[in-house]
Amino acid sequence: MTMIFRKVLSFVRRSYMLQMSYKFEFFLRIFFMFFNILTYYFVAKLIGTAGQKYLEPYGGDYFSFVLIGIAFSAYLMISLRGFSESVRDEQMMGTLEAMLVTPTNTSTIITLSTLWNFIFASFRVLLYLVIGVFLGVNLVGANVLGALIILVLTIICFGSIGILSASFIMIFKRGDPINMLFMSTSELFGGVFFPIGVLPSWLQTVSHLLPMTYSLNGMRHALLQGYSLQDLAPDMVTLVLFSALLLPASLLAFRYAVRKAKIDGTLVHY
Amino acid sequence: MDGITPVDCVDMKVKRGEVFGILGPNGAGKTTLIKMLCTLILPTSGDARVNGYDVVKESGKVRESIGFVTTDERSFYWRLTGRQNLEFFASLHNFYSKEARDMVDEVLEVVNLKDHADERFLNYSAGMKQSMAIARGLLNDPEVLFMDEPTRSLDPGAAQSLRDFIRQHIVKERGKTIFISTHNLDEAEQLCDRVAIFDGGRINVVGSPEELKGNLGSDSGLCDVFLHYTGKRFEERCEGEGATSRPTRPDRKGFSHRGGFGMRRRGL
Repeated sequence: MTMIFRKVLSFVRRSYMLQMSYKFEFFLRIFFMFFNILTYYFVAKLIGTAGQKYLEPYGGDYFSFVLIGIAFSAYLMISLRGFSESVRDEQMMGTLEAMLVTPTNTSTIITLSTLWNFIFASFRVLLYLVIGVFLGVNLVGANVLGALIILVLTIICFGSIGILSASFIMIFKRGDPINMLFMSTSELFGGVFFPIGVLPSWLQTVSHLLPMTYSLNGMRHALLQGYSLQDLAPDMVTLVLFSALLLPASLLAFRYAVRKAKIDGTLVHY
Repeated sequence: MDGITPVDCVDMKVKRGEVFGILGPNGAGKTTLIKMLCTLILPTSGDARVNGYDVVKESGKVRESIGFVTTDERSFYWRLTGRQNLEFFASLHNFYSKEARDMVDEVLEVVNLKDHADERFLNYSAGMKQSMAIARGLLNDPEVLFMDEPTRSLDPGAAQSLRDFIRQHIVKERGKTIFISTHNLDEAEQLCDRVAIFDGGRINVVGSPEELKGNLGSDSGLCDVFLHYTGKRFEERCEGEGATSRPTRPDRKGFSHRGGFGMRRRGL
Protein backbone atom coordinates (compact mmCIF):
# COMPACT_ATOMS: atom_id res chain seq x y z
CA MET A 1 0.00 0.00 0.00
CA THR A 2 2.80 2.36 1.00
CA MET A 3 4.67 1.44 -2.17
CA ILE A 4 1.76 2.28 -4.48
CA PHE A 5 1.19 5.55 -2.60
CA ARG A 6 4.84 6.50 -3.09
CA LYS A 7 4.61 5.56 -6.74
CA VAL A 8 1.52 7.74 -7.07
CA LEU A 9 3.43 10.64 -5.53
CA SER A 10 6.31 10.05 -7.89
CA PHE A 11 4.07 10.24 -10.98
CA VAL A 12 2.26 13.31 -9.68
CA ARG A 13 5.58 15.01 -8.94
CA ARG A 14 6.90 14.25 -12.43
CA SER A 15 3.74 15.54 -14.12
CA TYR A 16 3.68 18.65 -11.92
CA MET A 17 7.30 19.45 -12.80
CA LEU A 18 6.61 18.94 -16.49
CA GLN A 19 3.49 21.10 -16.29
CA MET A 20 5.35 23.82 -14.39
CA SER A 21 8.09 23.82 -17.01
CA TYR A 22 5.37 25.32 -19.25
CA LYS A 23 4.14 27.91 -16.72
CA PHE A 24 2.80 30.33 -19.33
CA GLU A 25 0.50 27.70 -20.83
CA PHE A 26 -0.68 26.68 -17.36
CA PHE A 27 -1.70 30.20 -16.37
CA LEU A 28 -3.26 30.90 -19.78
CA ARG A 29 -5.52 27.88 -19.38
CA ILE A 30 -6.67 29.10 -15.98
CA PHE A 31 -7.10 32.66 -17.24
CA PHE A 32 -9.28 31.74 -20.22
CA MET A 33 -11.43 29.54 -18.02
CA PHE A 34 -12.82 32.75 -16.49
CA PHE A 35 -13.95 33.93 -19.94
CA ASN A 36 -15.76 30.67 -20.46
CA ILE A 37 -17.63 31.02 -17.18
CA LEU A 38 -18.48 34.67 -17.82
CA THR A 39 -19.90 33.81 -21.25
CA TYR A 40 -22.39 31.41 -19.70
CA TYR A 41 -23.14 33.90 -16.91
CA PHE A 42 -24.33 36.47 -19.46
CA VAL A 43 -26.15 33.88 -21.56
CA ALA A 44 -27.99 32.91 -18.38
CA LYS A 45 -28.90 36.58 -17.82
CA LEU A 46 -30.33 36.73 -21.31
CA ILE A 47 -32.34 33.55 -20.85
CA GLY A 48 -33.68 34.70 -17.47
CA THR A 49 -36.68 32.61 -16.52
CA ALA A 50 -37.47 31.47 -20.07
CA GLY A 51 -36.49 27.87 -19.42
CA GLN A 52 -38.12 27.72 -16.00
CA LYS A 53 -40.32 24.76 -16.91
CA TYR A 54 -37.34 22.55 -17.75
CA LEU A 55 -35.00 23.93 -15.08
CA GLU A 56 -37.40 23.56 -12.16
CA PRO A 57 -36.05 20.13 -11.01
CA TYR A 58 -32.59 21.73 -10.72
CA GLY A 59 -33.56 24.87 -8.83
CA GLY A 60 -34.74 26.97 -11.78
CA ASP A 61 -31.55 28.96 -12.42
CA TYR A 62 -29.84 28.40 -15.80
CA PHE A 63 -26.39 29.65 -14.71
CA SER A 64 -26.26 27.15 -11.82
CA PHE A 65 -27.45 24.42 -14.18
CA VAL A 66 -24.90 25.10 -16.90
CA LEU A 67 -22.04 25.76 -14.47
CA ILE A 68 -22.36 22.25 -13.03
CA GLY A 69 -22.74 20.96 -16.59
CA ILE A 70 -19.56 22.51 -18.01
CA ALA A 71 -17.52 21.94 -14.84
CA PHE A 72 -18.25 18.24 -14.62
CA SER A 73 -18.49 17.54 -18.34
CA ALA A 74 -14.89 18.80 -18.68
CA TYR A 75 -14.02 16.38 -15.91
CA LEU A 76 -15.86 13.57 -17.65
CA MET A 77 -14.15 14.31 -20.95
CA ILE A 78 -10.75 14.11 -19.30
CA SER A 79 -11.71 10.77 -17.77
CA LEU A 80 -12.66 9.65 -21.23
CA ARG A 81 -9.56 10.89 -23.03
CA GLY A 82 -6.97 10.72 -20.25
CA PHE A 83 -5.82 7.13 -20.68
CA SER A 84 -5.48 7.21 -24.45
CA GLU A 85 -3.78 10.63 -24.33
CA SER A 86 -1.33 9.40 -21.70
CA VAL A 87 -0.42 6.39 -23.82
CA ARG A 88 0.00 8.60 -26.85
CA ASP A 89 1.98 11.32 -25.03
CA GLU A 90 4.44 8.83 -23.59
CA GLN A 91 4.75 7.14 -27.00
CA MET A 92 5.49 10.47 -28.67
CA MET A 93 7.93 11.60 -25.97
CA GLY A 94 9.68 8.26 -26.36
CA THR A 95 9.53 7.53 -22.63
CA LEU A 96 7.02 4.66 -22.74
CA GLU A 97 9.58 1.99 -23.60
CA ALA A 98 11.95 3.08 -20.84
CA MET A 99 9.09 2.84 -18.35
CA LEU A 100 7.81 -0.51 -19.58
CA VAL A 101 11.20 -2.16 -19.09
CA THR A 102 11.00 -1.53 -15.32
CA PRO A 103 9.31 -3.86 -12.79
CA THR A 104 6.26 -1.56 -12.60
CA ASN A 105 3.52 -3.23 -14.62
CA THR A 106 1.97 -1.73 -17.74
CA SER A 107 -1.50 -1.09 -16.26
CA THR A 108 -0.02 0.78 -13.28
CA ILE A 109 2.13 2.92 -15.58
CA ILE A 110 -0.81 3.85 -17.81
CA THR A 111 -3.15 4.50 -14.88
CA LEU A 112 -0.69 6.62 -12.92
CA SER A 113 0.33 8.56 -16.01
CA THR A 114 -3.29 9.72 -16.21
CA LEU A 115 -3.46 10.83 -12.61
CA TRP A 116 -2.27 14.38 -13.19
CA ASN A 117 -5.09 14.98 -15.68
CA PHE A 118 -7.60 14.01 -12.99
CA ILE A 119 -5.94 16.26 -10.42
CA PHE A 120 -5.87 19.20 -12.81
CA ALA A 121 -9.52 18.56 -13.76
CA SER A 122 -10.50 18.48 -10.08
CA PHE A 123 -8.71 21.79 -9.56
CA ARG A 124 -10.65 23.25 -12.48
CA VAL A 125 -13.98 21.94 -11.16
CA LEU A 126 -13.20 23.49 -7.78
CA LEU A 127 -12.38 26.82 -9.42
CA TYR A 128 -15.59 26.68 -11.47
CA LEU A 129 -17.61 26.15 -8.30
CA VAL A 130 -15.82 28.89 -6.34
CA ILE A 131 -16.27 31.40 -9.15
CA GLY A 132 -19.87 30.23 -9.50
CA VAL A 133 -20.54 30.94 -5.82
CA PHE A 134 -19.14 34.45 -6.27
CA LEU A 135 -21.49 34.91 -9.23
CA GLY A 136 -24.53 33.83 -7.24
CA VAL A 137 -24.72 30.03 -7.42
CA ASN A 138 -26.20 28.73 -4.17
CA LEU A 139 -24.44 25.64 -2.83
CA VAL A 140 -25.43 26.13 0.80
CA GLY A 141 -27.68 23.07 1.00
CA ALA A 142 -25.44 20.82 -1.09
CA ASN A 143 -25.22 17.12 -0.21
CA VAL A 144 -21.43 16.90 -0.41
CA LEU A 145 -21.27 13.20 0.47
CA GLY A 146 -23.80 12.38 -2.25
CA ALA A 147 -21.86 14.48 -4.75
CA LEU A 148 -18.60 12.70 -3.84
CA ILE A 149 -20.18 9.26 -4.25
CA ILE A 150 -21.48 10.25 -7.67
CA LEU A 151 -18.05 11.63 -8.51
CA VAL A 152 -16.34 8.34 -7.62
CA LEU A 153 -18.89 6.34 -9.63
CA THR A 154 -18.43 8.74 -12.50
CA ILE A 155 -14.66 8.28 -12.44
CA ILE A 156 -15.00 4.48 -12.46
CA CYS A 157 -17.57 4.58 -15.22
CA PHE A 158 -15.84 7.08 -17.50
CA GLY A 159 -12.39 5.79 -16.61
CA SER A 160 -13.54 2.38 -17.89
CA ILE A 161 -14.61 3.93 -21.18
CA GLY A 162 -11.24 5.74 -21.20
CA ILE A 163 -9.40 2.42 -20.78
CA LEU A 164 -11.45 0.94 -23.65
CA SER A 165 -10.42 3.94 -25.71
CA ALA A 166 -6.74 3.45 -24.77
CA SER A 167 -7.00 -0.18 -25.91
CA PHE A 168 -7.97 1.00 -29.39
CA ILE A 169 -5.09 3.51 -29.41
CA MET A 170 -2.70 0.76 -28.36
CA ILE A 171 -3.61 -1.33 -31.41
CA PHE A 172 -4.80 1.11 -34.09
CA LYS A 173 -2.76 4.16 -32.91
CA ARG A 174 -5.38 6.61 -34.24
CA GLY A 175 -9.10 6.65 -35.04
CA ASP A 176 -10.46 5.43 -31.74
CA PRO A 177 -14.25 4.97 -32.23
CA ILE A 178 -15.08 4.80 -28.50
CA ASN A 179 -13.76 8.28 -27.81
CA MET A 180 -15.39 9.73 -30.92
CA LEU A 181 -18.75 8.13 -30.09
CA PHE A 182 -18.90 9.37 -26.51
CA MET A 183 -17.36 12.78 -27.19
CA SER A 184 -19.79 13.56 -29.98
CA THR A 185 -22.93 12.31 -28.27
CA SER A 186 -22.41 13.19 -24.60
CA GLU A 187 -22.50 16.98 -24.91
CA LEU A 188 -25.60 16.93 -27.09
CA PHE A 189 -27.56 14.18 -25.39
CA GLY A 190 -25.99 14.09 -21.91
CA GLY A 191 -27.58 17.29 -20.59
CA VAL A 192 -24.49 19.49 -20.38
CA PHE A 193 -25.96 22.75 -21.70
CA PHE A 194 -29.69 22.11 -21.43
CA PRO A 195 -31.96 19.66 -19.59
CA ILE A 196 -32.66 16.55 -21.65
CA GLY A 197 -36.38 17.31 -21.18
CA VAL A 198 -35.94 19.85 -24.01
CA LEU A 199 -35.22 17.02 -26.48
CA PRO A 200 -38.00 15.20 -28.34
CA SER A 201 -38.91 12.04 -26.46
CA TRP A 202 -37.35 9.72 -29.05
CA LEU A 203 -34.00 11.53 -28.68
CA GLN A 204 -34.28 11.32 -24.90
CA THR A 205 -33.96 7.55 -25.37
CA VAL A 206 -30.40 8.17 -26.58
CA SER A 207 -29.75 10.31 -23.49
CA HIS A 208 -30.80 7.45 -21.23
CA LEU A 209 -28.12 5.23 -22.78
CA LEU A 210 -25.33 7.62 -21.77
CA PRO A 211 -23.65 7.52 -18.34
CA MET A 212 -23.14 11.30 -18.51
CA THR A 213 -26.90 11.86 -18.23
CA TYR A 214 -26.98 10.13 -14.84
CA SER A 215 -23.72 11.70 -13.63
CA LEU A 216 -24.84 15.25 -14.33
CA ASN A 217 -28.38 14.64 -13.16
CA GLY A 218 -27.17 13.21 -9.84
CA MET A 219 -24.49 15.88 -9.42
CA ARG A 220 -26.95 18.73 -9.98
CA HIS A 221 -29.50 17.23 -7.62
CA ALA A 222 -26.82 16.69 -4.95
CA LEU A 223 -25.16 20.10 -5.24
CA LEU A 224 -28.03 22.41 -6.18
CA GLN A 225 -31.01 20.71 -4.54
CA GLY A 226 -29.31 18.87 -1.68
CA TYR A 227 -31.06 15.59 -2.49
CA SER A 228 -30.61 12.85 0.12
CA LEU A 229 -28.68 9.65 -0.65
CA GLN A 230 -32.01 7.87 -0.97
CA ASP A 231 -33.22 10.39 -3.54
CA LEU A 232 -29.94 10.05 -5.44
CA ALA A 233 -30.10 6.23 -5.41
CA PRO A 234 -31.61 5.77 -8.92
CA ASP A 235 -28.76 7.71 -10.57
CA MET A 236 -26.18 6.00 -8.37
CA VAL A 237 -27.53 2.49 -9.11
CA THR A 238 -27.52 3.20 -12.84
CA LEU A 239 -23.89 4.37 -12.64
CA VAL A 240 -23.00 1.24 -10.64
CA LEU A 241 -24.58 -0.91 -13.37
CA PHE A 242 -22.70 0.94 -16.10
CA SER A 243 -19.46 0.49 -14.12
CA ALA A 244 -20.11 -3.22 -13.48
CA LEU A 245 -20.45 -3.72 -17.22
CA LEU A 246 -17.73 -1.40 -18.45
CA LEU A 247 -14.89 -1.93 -15.96
CA PRO A 248 -14.29 -5.68 -16.52
CA ALA A 249 -14.83 -5.25 -20.27
CA SER A 250 -12.28 -2.43 -20.42
CA LEU A 251 -9.68 -4.31 -18.37
CA LEU A 252 -10.05 -7.38 -20.59
CA ALA A 253 -9.78 -5.24 -23.72
CA PHE A 254 -6.70 -3.46 -22.38
CA ARG A 255 -4.97 -6.70 -21.46
CA TYR A 256 -5.69 -8.05 -24.95
CA ALA A 257 -4.45 -4.82 -26.57
CA VAL A 258 -1.15 -4.81 -24.63
CA ARG A 259 -0.56 -8.46 -25.46
CA LYS A 260 -1.30 -7.91 -29.16
CA ALA A 261 0.93 -4.82 -29.30
CA LYS A 262 3.71 -6.78 -27.59
CA ILE A 263 3.44 -9.65 -30.07
CA ASP A 264 3.33 -7.24 -33.02
CA GLY A 265 6.22 -5.22 -31.55
CA THR A 266 4.18 -2.02 -31.85
CA LEU A 267 3.84 -1.14 -28.16
CA VAL A 268 5.77 2.10 -28.55
CA HIS A 269 4.67 2.96 -32.08
CA TYR A 270 2.34 5.91 -32.63
CA MET B 1 4.83 -8.80 -38.50
CA ASP B 2 4.50 -5.16 -39.43
CA GLY B 3 7.35 -2.81 -38.55
CA ILE B 4 9.76 -5.17 -36.83
CA THR B 5 12.31 -7.63 -38.15
CA PRO B 6 11.29 -11.17 -37.24
CA VAL B 7 13.70 -13.22 -35.17
CA ASP B 8 13.81 -16.93 -35.95
CA CYS B 9 15.62 -20.06 -34.71
CA VAL B 10 17.84 -18.25 -32.19
CA ASP B 11 19.51 -20.74 -29.88
CA MET B 12 22.23 -19.49 -27.55
CA LYS B 13 23.42 -19.14 -23.98
CA VAL B 14 25.21 -16.21 -22.38
CA LYS B 15 27.47 -16.84 -19.40
CA ARG B 16 27.26 -14.83 -16.19
CA GLY B 17 29.75 -11.96 -16.21
CA GLU B 18 30.27 -12.21 -19.94
CA VAL B 19 30.12 -9.41 -22.50
CA PHE B 20 28.14 -10.92 -25.33
CA GLY B 21 27.78 -9.07 -28.59
CA ILE B 22 25.18 -9.37 -31.31
CA LEU B 23 26.90 -8.21 -34.46
CA GLY B 24 24.85 -7.49 -37.53
CA PRO B 25 23.89 -4.79 -40.00
CA ASN B 26 20.88 -2.49 -39.69
CA GLY B 27 17.65 -4.43 -40.01
CA ALA B 28 19.21 -7.73 -38.94
CA GLY B 29 16.80 -8.10 -36.00
CA LYS B 30 19.22 -7.16 -33.19
CA THR B 31 16.83 -4.71 -31.56
CA THR B 32 13.92 -7.13 -31.87
CA LEU B 33 15.96 -9.80 -30.10
CA ILE B 34 16.96 -7.43 -27.30
CA LYS B 35 13.39 -6.22 -26.87
CA MET B 36 12.19 -9.81 -26.62
CA LEU B 37 14.71 -10.50 -23.88
CA CYS B 38 13.64 -7.28 -22.13
CA THR B 39 9.96 -8.41 -22.30
CA LEU B 40 8.94 -5.51 -24.57
CA ILE B 41 8.08 -7.89 -27.41
CA LEU B 42 6.41 -11.25 -26.85
CA PRO B 43 7.82 -14.22 -28.76
CA THR B 44 5.20 -16.16 -30.72
CA SER B 45 7.00 -19.46 -30.09
CA GLY B 46 9.99 -20.88 -28.26
CA ASP B 47 11.24 -19.81 -24.87
CA ALA B 48 13.92 -17.58 -23.40
CA ARG B 49 15.24 -17.08 -19.89
CA VAL B 50 17.08 -14.09 -18.48
CA ASN B 51 18.85 -14.47 -15.16
CA GLY B 52 16.98 -17.79 -14.87
CA TYR B 53 13.51 -16.25 -15.38
CA ASP B 54 11.16 -16.98 -18.26
CA VAL B 55 10.60 -13.82 -20.33
CA VAL B 56 6.90 -14.57 -20.80
CA LYS B 57 5.78 -16.27 -17.59
CA GLU B 58 8.06 -14.36 -15.20
CA SER B 59 8.38 -11.06 -17.04
CA GLY B 60 8.24 -9.02 -13.81
CA LYS B 61 11.20 -10.95 -12.36
CA VAL B 62 13.07 -10.49 -15.62
CA ARG B 63 12.54 -6.72 -15.49
CA GLU B 64 13.79 -6.65 -11.88
CA SER B 65 17.02 -8.29 -13.05
CA ILE B 66 17.83 -6.17 -16.06
CA GLY B 67 18.87 -2.71 -17.13
CA PHE B 68 18.16 -1.47 -20.64
CA VAL B 69 20.31 1.12 -22.36
CA THR B 70 18.80 2.50 -25.52
CA THR B 71 20.24 5.01 -27.97
CA ASP B 72 16.94 6.87 -28.15
CA GLU B 73 17.60 10.30 -26.65
CA ARG B 74 13.87 10.89 -26.54
CA SER B 75 13.47 8.28 -23.82
CA PHE B 76 14.03 10.99 -21.18
CA TYR B 77 11.91 13.96 -20.14
CA TRP B 78 13.89 16.75 -21.77
CA ARG B 79 12.45 19.55 -19.63
CA LEU B 80 13.39 17.85 -16.38
CA THR B 81 16.90 17.75 -14.98
CA GLY B 82 19.07 14.65 -15.16
CA ARG B 83 18.53 14.05 -11.46
CA GLN B 84 14.75 14.48 -11.67
CA ASN B 85 14.66 12.01 -14.56
CA LEU B 86 16.68 9.42 -12.69
CA GLU B 87 14.68 9.82 -9.49
CA PHE B 88 11.47 9.23 -11.43
CA PHE B 89 12.83 6.10 -13.11
CA ALA B 90 14.19 4.92 -9.74
CA SER B 91 10.62 4.97 -8.41
CA LEU B 92 9.58 2.68 -11.26
CA HIS B 93 12.25 0.30 -9.95
CA ASN B 94 10.61 0.65 -6.51
CA PHE B 95 13.28 2.88 -4.98
CA TYR B 96 11.95 5.93 -3.17
CA SER B 97 13.04 8.88 -1.02
CA LYS B 98 16.51 8.61 0.45
CA GLU B 99 17.20 5.20 -1.06
CA ALA B 100 16.37 6.57 -4.51
CA ARG B 101 18.45 9.70 -3.97
CA ASP B 102 21.45 7.63 -2.83
CA MET B 103 21.03 5.31 -5.80
CA VAL B 104 20.85 8.25 -8.20
CA ASP B 105 23.91 9.91 -6.65
CA GLU B 106 25.82 6.67 -6.99
CA VAL B 107 25.05 6.12 -10.67
CA LEU B 108 25.68 9.79 -11.45
CA GLU B 109 29.07 9.39 -9.83
CA VAL B 110 29.73 6.27 -11.90
CA VAL B 111 28.99 8.03 -15.20
CA ASN B 112 30.73 11.19 -14.04
CA LEU B 113 27.68 13.44 -14.39
CA LYS B 114 27.20 14.51 -10.80
CA ASP B 115 28.24 18.09 -11.55
CA HIS B 116 25.61 18.33 -14.30
CA ALA B 117 22.85 16.46 -12.50
CA ASP B 118 20.72 19.55 -11.88
CA GLU B 119 20.85 20.83 -15.45
CA ARG B 120 17.94 20.21 -17.75
CA PHE B 121 18.33 17.11 -19.91
CA LEU B 122 17.74 19.20 -23.04
CA ASN B 123 21.03 21.03 -22.40
CA TYR B 124 23.12 17.84 -22.36
CA SER B 125 25.48 16.89 -25.17
CA ALA B 126 24.93 13.62 -27.07
CA GLY B 127 27.65 11.95 -25.00
CA MET B 128 26.09 13.12 -21.72
CA LYS B 129 22.68 11.90 -22.85
CA GLN B 130 24.12 8.48 -23.59
CA SER B 131 25.87 8.45 -20.21
CA MET B 132 22.51 9.25 -18.64
CA ALA B 133 21.01 6.28 -20.47
CA ILE B 134 23.72 4.09 -18.94
CA ALA B 135 23.13 5.63 -15.51
CA ARG B 136 19.44 4.79 -15.83
CA GLY B 137 20.31 1.25 -16.90
CA LEU B 138 22.37 0.84 -13.73
CA LEU B 139 19.76 2.28 -11.35
CA ASN B 140 18.52 -1.06 -10.05
CA ASP B 141 22.01 -2.58 -9.93
CA PRO B 142 20.93 -5.16 -12.56
CA GLU B 143 22.43 -8.59 -13.06
CA VAL B 144 22.20 -8.20 -16.82
CA LEU B 145 22.60 -5.00 -18.79
CA PHE B 146 21.15 -4.85 -22.29
CA MET B 147 22.71 -2.22 -24.53
CA ASP B 148 21.24 -1.53 -27.94
CA GLU B 149 23.94 0.08 -30.10
CA PRO B 150 25.06 2.35 -27.25
CA THR B 151 27.59 4.32 -29.29
CA ARG B 152 25.48 4.85 -32.40
CA SER B 153 24.85 8.57 -31.98
CA LEU B 154 28.29 9.47 -30.62
CA ASP B 155 31.29 10.99 -32.35
CA PRO B 156 34.35 8.70 -32.60
CA GLY B 157 36.10 10.17 -29.54
CA ALA B 158 33.02 9.97 -27.35
CA ALA B 159 32.28 6.46 -28.61
CA GLN B 160 35.78 5.28 -27.71
CA SER B 161 35.50 6.87 -24.25
CA LEU B 162 32.20 5.12 -23.72
CA ARG B 163 33.65 1.76 -24.77
CA ASP B 164 36.55 2.24 -22.34
CA PHE B 165 34.10 3.20 -19.64
CA ILE B 166 31.94 0.11 -20.25
CA ARG B 167 34.99 -2.16 -20.13
CA GLN B 168 36.54 -0.59 -17.06
CA HIS B 169 33.63 0.43 -14.85
CA ILE B 170 30.73 -1.76 -15.80
CA VAL B 171 32.47 -4.99 -16.66
CA LYS B 172 35.68 -5.02 -14.58
CA GLU B 173 34.55 -3.09 -11.51
CA ARG B 174 30.88 -4.01 -11.31
CA GLY B 175 31.01 -7.45 -12.95
CA LYS B 176 27.81 -7.10 -14.94
CA THR B 177 26.70 -9.47 -17.65
CA ILE B 178 26.37 -7.38 -20.77
CA PHE B 179 24.33 -8.17 -23.84
CA ILE B 180 25.24 -5.60 -26.43
CA SER B 181 24.09 -5.14 -29.99
CA THR B 182 26.34 -3.37 -32.42
CA HIS B 183 26.99 -2.94 -36.10
CA ASN B 184 30.52 -1.76 -35.40
CA LEU B 185 33.26 -4.33 -35.86
CA ASP B 186 35.86 -2.51 -33.76
CA GLU B 187 33.39 -2.18 -30.95
CA ALA B 188 32.62 -5.90 -31.05
CA GLU B 189 36.33 -6.76 -31.00
CA GLN B 190 37.15 -4.35 -28.19
CA LEU B 191 34.27 -5.11 -25.89
CA CYS B 192 32.96 -8.60 -26.40
CA ASP B 193 34.13 -11.89 -24.95
CA ARG B 194 31.96 -13.62 -27.55
CA VAL B 195 29.97 -12.39 -30.51
CA ALA B 196 27.07 -13.81 -32.48
CA ILE B 197 27.01 -12.98 -36.17
CA PHE B 198 23.37 -12.08 -36.72
CA ASP B 199 21.60 -11.58 -40.01
CA GLY B 200 18.03 -11.88 -41.26
CA GLY B 201 16.82 -12.57 -37.74
CA ARG B 202 19.08 -15.62 -37.38
CA ILE B 203 22.33 -16.39 -35.65
CA ASN B 204 24.88 -17.70 -38.11
CA VAL B 205 27.76 -18.40 -35.75
CA VAL B 206 28.84 -17.72 -32.15
CA GLY B 207 32.37 -17.50 -30.79
CA SER B 208 35.04 -15.21 -29.43
CA PRO B 209 36.35 -12.70 -31.98
CA GLU B 210 39.73 -14.47 -31.91
CA GLU B 211 38.20 -17.90 -32.49
CA LEU B 212 36.04 -16.71 -35.34
CA LYS B 213 38.88 -14.91 -37.04
CA GLY B 214 41.33 -17.73 -36.35
CA ASN B 215 39.05 -20.26 -38.05
CA LEU B 216 39.43 -18.38 -41.32
CA GLY B 217 43.17 -17.85 -41.29
CA SER B 218 45.76 -15.78 -39.49
CA ASP B 219 45.12 -12.41 -41.14
CA SER B 220 41.32 -12.54 -41.21
CA GLY B 221 39.15 -9.88 -39.66
CA LEU B 222 35.56 -9.85 -38.45
CA CYS B 223 34.63 -8.52 -41.89
CA ASP B 224 35.77 -11.81 -43.35
CA VAL B 225 33.96 -13.73 -40.65
CA PHE B 226 30.75 -11.89 -41.47
CA LEU B 227 31.25 -12.46 -45.20
CA HIS B 228 32.04 -16.12 -44.66
CA TYR B 229 28.98 -16.89 -42.54
CA THR B 230 26.38 -14.69 -44.22
CA GLY B 231 27.58 -14.37 -47.79
CA LYS B 232 27.25 -10.59 -47.33
CA ARG B 233 29.66 -7.99 -46.17
CA PHE B 234 29.78 -4.87 -44.10
CA GLU B 235 30.17 -2.32 -46.88
CA GLU B 236 32.14 0.55 -45.38
CA ARG B 237 34.66 -1.34 -43.30
CA CYS B 238 35.26 -4.05 -45.87
CA GLU B 239 35.19 -1.80 -48.92
CA GLY B 240 38.10 -2.62 -51.20
CA GLU B 241 39.22 -5.51 -49.08
CA GLY B 242 38.07 -8.06 -51.61
CA ALA B 243 38.00 -11.66 -50.56
CA THR B 244 40.95 -11.24 -48.27
CA SER B 245 41.07 -8.85 -45.42
CA ARG B 246 43.45 -6.08 -44.66
CA PRO B 247 43.88 -4.01 -41.55
CA THR B 248 41.27 -1.37 -40.94
CA ARG B 249 42.40 2.14 -41.84
CA PRO B 250 42.71 4.14 -38.66
CA ASP B 251 41.60 7.38 -40.36
CA ARG B 252 38.21 5.83 -41.15
CA LYS B 253 37.70 4.42 -37.73
CA GLY B 254 34.15 4.76 -36.60
CA PHE B 255 32.80 6.99 -39.35
CA SER B 256 29.67 5.80 -40.99
CA HIS B 257 27.11 6.84 -43.55
CA ARG B 258 24.81 8.54 -41.05
CA GLY B 259 27.22 10.37 -38.84
CA GLY B 260 27.31 7.58 -36.30
CA PHE B 261 29.07 4.30 -36.23
CA GLY B 262 28.18 1.36 -38.34
CA MET B 263 28.19 -0.47 -41.56
CA ARG B 264 25.72 -0.75 -44.33
CA ARG B 265 24.61 -3.84 -46.10
CA ARG B 266 25.04 -3.92 -49.83
CA GLY B 267 23.18 -5.93 -52.38
CA LEU B 268 20.36 -7.00 -50.10
